[in-house]
Amino acid sequence: MKYIINQMADGEDELILNYREVNEEVERILAFMEQGSRRILGWRENEQVVIAPGDLLYAESVEGKTFAYTEQEVYRMNYTLQQLEVLLQKEYFFRCSKSMIMNINKVAALRSLSSNRIDATMENGEHIIISRTYASDFRKKLRGE
Amino acid sequence: MTRFERYLSKEIGVEFKACLYFFCILFFYCVCRIAEGDWNASILHMTEMIFLTYGMGFFQLLCLDNFDEGEKLGLRETLYILLCVGIYTFAAWLGKWFNAPLQLLLFSLYLCLAYVCAFWVYKIKRDLESKALNEELKEFQQRNKDVG
Repeated sequence: MKYIINQMADGEDELILNYREVNEEVERILAFMEQGSRRILGWRENEQVVIAPGDLLYAESVEGKTFAYTEQEVYRMNYTLQQLEVLLQKEYFFRCSKSMIMNINKVAALRSLSSNRIDATMENGEHIIISRTYASDFRKKLRGE
Repeated sequence: MTRFERYLSKEIGVEFKACLYFFCILFFYCVCRIAEGDWNASILHMTEMIFLTYGMGFFQLLCLDNFDEGEKLGLRETLYILLCVGIYTFAAWLGKWFNAPLQLLLFSLYLCLAYVCAFWVYKIKRDLESKALNEELKEFQQRNKDVG
C-alpha cells in the first residue's frame, strides 16, 4: 500500500485512508486510527460506517450477532460483545447484562425497582432493566468506586 | 452471582419480611392480651406466628409475585392481600390466638392495613433510592463528559 505524507502550513491535521475493500492491512490501520480518534466500525445494511462510541446508546448480542444502537440507527458489528467491551474501554460504558453493554452517559433517568433491580430510561425512551446481579456493580460505578 | 448467593439473597429477603409481619402480628396479639387483662403471651402462639410468617414470605415470593413490593396497588394486588389476610385469619382461628370473634375481625382489618402500609413503605423507599440514583447519575455524567 502506498502512502503520501504532506506537511501543511496551516489547517487541521487529518488522516485520509482510501481503500477498495477492507482487508487485514486496512483493518489494522483502521484499528490504529480508531485508537486515536475513538471510533468503532459498524455495518448499516451493506455500508460500513464509523461510529463515535459516545453516540451509542447500547450494544447487545442477539443470537450470536452483535448490534449497536444509536438514537437513529442500528448497526451490525463484526465484534463480539466482549471484543466491543474491550474496544470501547470507556468509563461510561457498563455491562448491564450477559448480552448487553449500555452507555451511562445516554441514560435519561433511573428508577429503583423491587428486588434491587434498576430501570434505566435511555435518551430515546427505551427501558433497560439492570438485574439484581449487575445492579450492585452499577451503583458502585456511578459512585466512582 | 452463584446459585447459592441467589438463594441466600432470597432467603434474607423472606426472613426480613417474616420479621416485619411477625412483629406486626405480635403487637396486635399483645394489645389484645393486655386489653383482656392478661399479661402473658403464649410461646406456642409466637412459634406458630414465626413459622407462618416465614412460610407466607416464600408463598408471596414464589406464588404471588412479591406483591407488597410491587409498583402499583391494583386489583390483583388487592386480591393477593385478601388471600394472605384470609390465610392469616384462618391460622389465627385454628391456633386459637384470640379469644373473641371481634378480635379476629379486627385482626383481619389490621393485617389489611399492615399490608397497605408495607406496600407504601417499600414504595417510598424505592422513590428515595431513585432520587439518590438520579443524583449520582447526573454527577457521573458530569465527571465523564466525552466528546466521543
